[in-house]
Order: sequence, then structure tokens, then C-alpha cells
Amino acid sequence: MAVKVKVSSLLRKYTNWQEFVEVEGRTPLECLHAIEKQFPSIKRLLYDKQGKLRPQFWFFVNGQKINAGELTSPLKDGDELMILLAISGG
Amino acid sequence: MLSNRELSRYERQMLIPDWGKSGQRKLKKAGVLVAGAGGLGSAILTYLAVAGIGNIRIVDSDRVELGNLNRQVLHTDKDISRYKVDSAKEKLELLNPDIKVEAIKAKITRSNIFKLVGNYLIVDALDNLPARLLLNRAAMKTVLPLFHGAVYGFEGRATTIIPGKTACLRCLYQDVLPGKIPVVGVTPAVIGCIQATEVIKYILGTGNLLEDRLLVYDGLSMKFSEVKLKKNPDCRDCGNTADLTGKD
Repeated sequence: MAVKVKVSSLLRKYTNWQEFVEVEGRTPLECLHAIEKQFPSIKRLLYDKQGKLRPQFWFFVNGQKINAGELTSPLKDGDELMILLAISGG
Repeated sequence: MLSNRELSRYERQMLIPDWGKSGQRKLKKAGVLVAGAGGLGSAILTYLAVAGIGNIRIVDSDRVELGNLNRQVLHTDKDISRYKVDSAKEKLELLNPDIKVEAIKAKITRSNIFKLVGNYLIVDALDNLPARLLLNRAAMKTVLPLFHGAVYGFEGRATTIIPGKTACLRCLYQDVLPGKIPVVGVTPAVIGCIQATEVIKYILGTGNLLEDRLLVYDGLSMKFSEVKLKKNPDCRDCGNTADLTGKD
């Protein structure tokens, strides 16, 4: 399944400053693993010391927010996954 | 009632369709709490003041530091060490002497939040998640709208939360990354102006608000995009089992 992943500007230093990354994956989680494989340095940001996905990451499929339980929901060819990082600066 | 002076001051915005004198009177009667007089707060406060929001309450406990001045444009070198709320009040009263500005030097806590909010619309211009979530809880309990904005580097976000209707801040945020937040002054200026626009539209009852919509500003690519938010049915502030009768 070809999925376009849009990466928040805050994460682009980990994706060679690419805003969009094309990956293969059947679910958002598989896409995330594909990104980790392509850009291994992003892993230490995504996961805590216990290897748990940090709650500061937000995921959207075709512009709709998904919760952690939906990371294993099936994607369709051409879907867009967006990754944002929770921010709090004022 | 608008004075001749006010009619002149607001002449150009009253030309906007559906605004007129009645819209301007709504702004004059309105009360808005701006929590935070920093980067977001500087833009929000400036544009709410010049638009003629009649009653503005600013809450912040910090003093101005040199390191604030790349983005907190209500403050100047001469204000260093002054309370931000005093510095902001002084500038806003110079910008528009026809409005009332209240400056409250306080840290937002569970015990003072309801007194600070009163029946004012709530604008979130804070820089930390725990205080933002206190505002969120207060908005849910008082059923007052919450205008949210947040920034980091060249990126910013904004959404408008209507209790009972939209997802709330707690539906969205579990945590944020710790540490000092990098930011360039233009980012809170962009997001703060969006928040101020939402407040003005809400008071006038015009246009479409950012309800269940998170506006994402990407200054690096110079793009605005939008994603849809949804209520978390298990949210402890706005979900099906939310208990708003307790103390917090």
C-alpha cells in the first residue's frame, strides 16, 4: 500500500528536510515503522526509554485525527498520513 | 452607546458587511480574558485592543526579560524587570484609551482560575500545558469558549473550542516535549492574529470558527493546512463520563 506521509516541520530534520515521505504500509503503524527504517534517527524521538510511542505524537489519516488504538486500522492505497508533534509554546 | 470618537476610530471596520454600529457595540460590551502576555499574548492583545474589545483582562505572573524581546512585542528594553501585565496594560491603553484593561499579576492555579475567568471569553496564550489544561477545565465548567494557540519554531497551531460542541484541549493533548521552546517572533504573531480573529468573529457571530479544526501554520514551507479533530468519548473534561462537579 503506497502511503504519502506528511511530516511536521518540527520533525523534518530527521527526514532530510523532506515534507512528504512515500512509504509502503498497510496501517499507520506499519508506515511509521517504514519511516523509522528509512530514517533511523527519528526513533529516539518517537519512543520513550521503555520503547513506548510517546503521546506527544499526533496522527491524522486523510486529515482526520486518529487515536492510539486506530494506529493498526487498515489504510487504503493513496491515503495520506500526517504526523504532528504536540507543542505548547506561547 | 458609541461616542463620536469611537465612531471615528472604528469607522473602517464598521464598513465590513454585518458589522456596523451594532457589531461594534457587541465588541464594546464584551469581556475577554487573555491568559499570557508573551509572544501570542502580544499579538492577541494588540489586535483585540485596537478592534475595540471593551473589557480586556490580562493574567500573567512573569516579569519582562531581555530574552523575551525577540517575540513579545508589547514590551521594550525599558520594560525589563517590570511585570508583563503592567507593561502590556500601559501599551494597550496608549493604543486605545477607549477600552478598559485590567492587569492581574497571578499564576493560574486551580484555586484562582474561576475568579480570573468570571464570565469572560477565554484566550489561551500560555506557554505550558498544565496551565492550558486548567483553562480548558474552566471553559468546560463555565461553558465559555476557549481560543487556543501554540507555537514552536516556525510552526504554529490554532483551534477554537466550544464546550458541549467540539473536542476540547484535553481530547488533544496528553503531553508535550519538555525543554526550552525555540521560537521566532513572527510565529506567535501569525497565530496570535488568528486567535484574535476568532474572538472577534465569535463576538460578532459571523463567519466560520475553527471548531473541531486544527489550523496548522508551517512557516518553513509557508503553508497553512487544516486537520479535523474529534471528541474523545472518554475525555475526563468533556467526555461522556466527565465529572465537572469536582474541584478541578
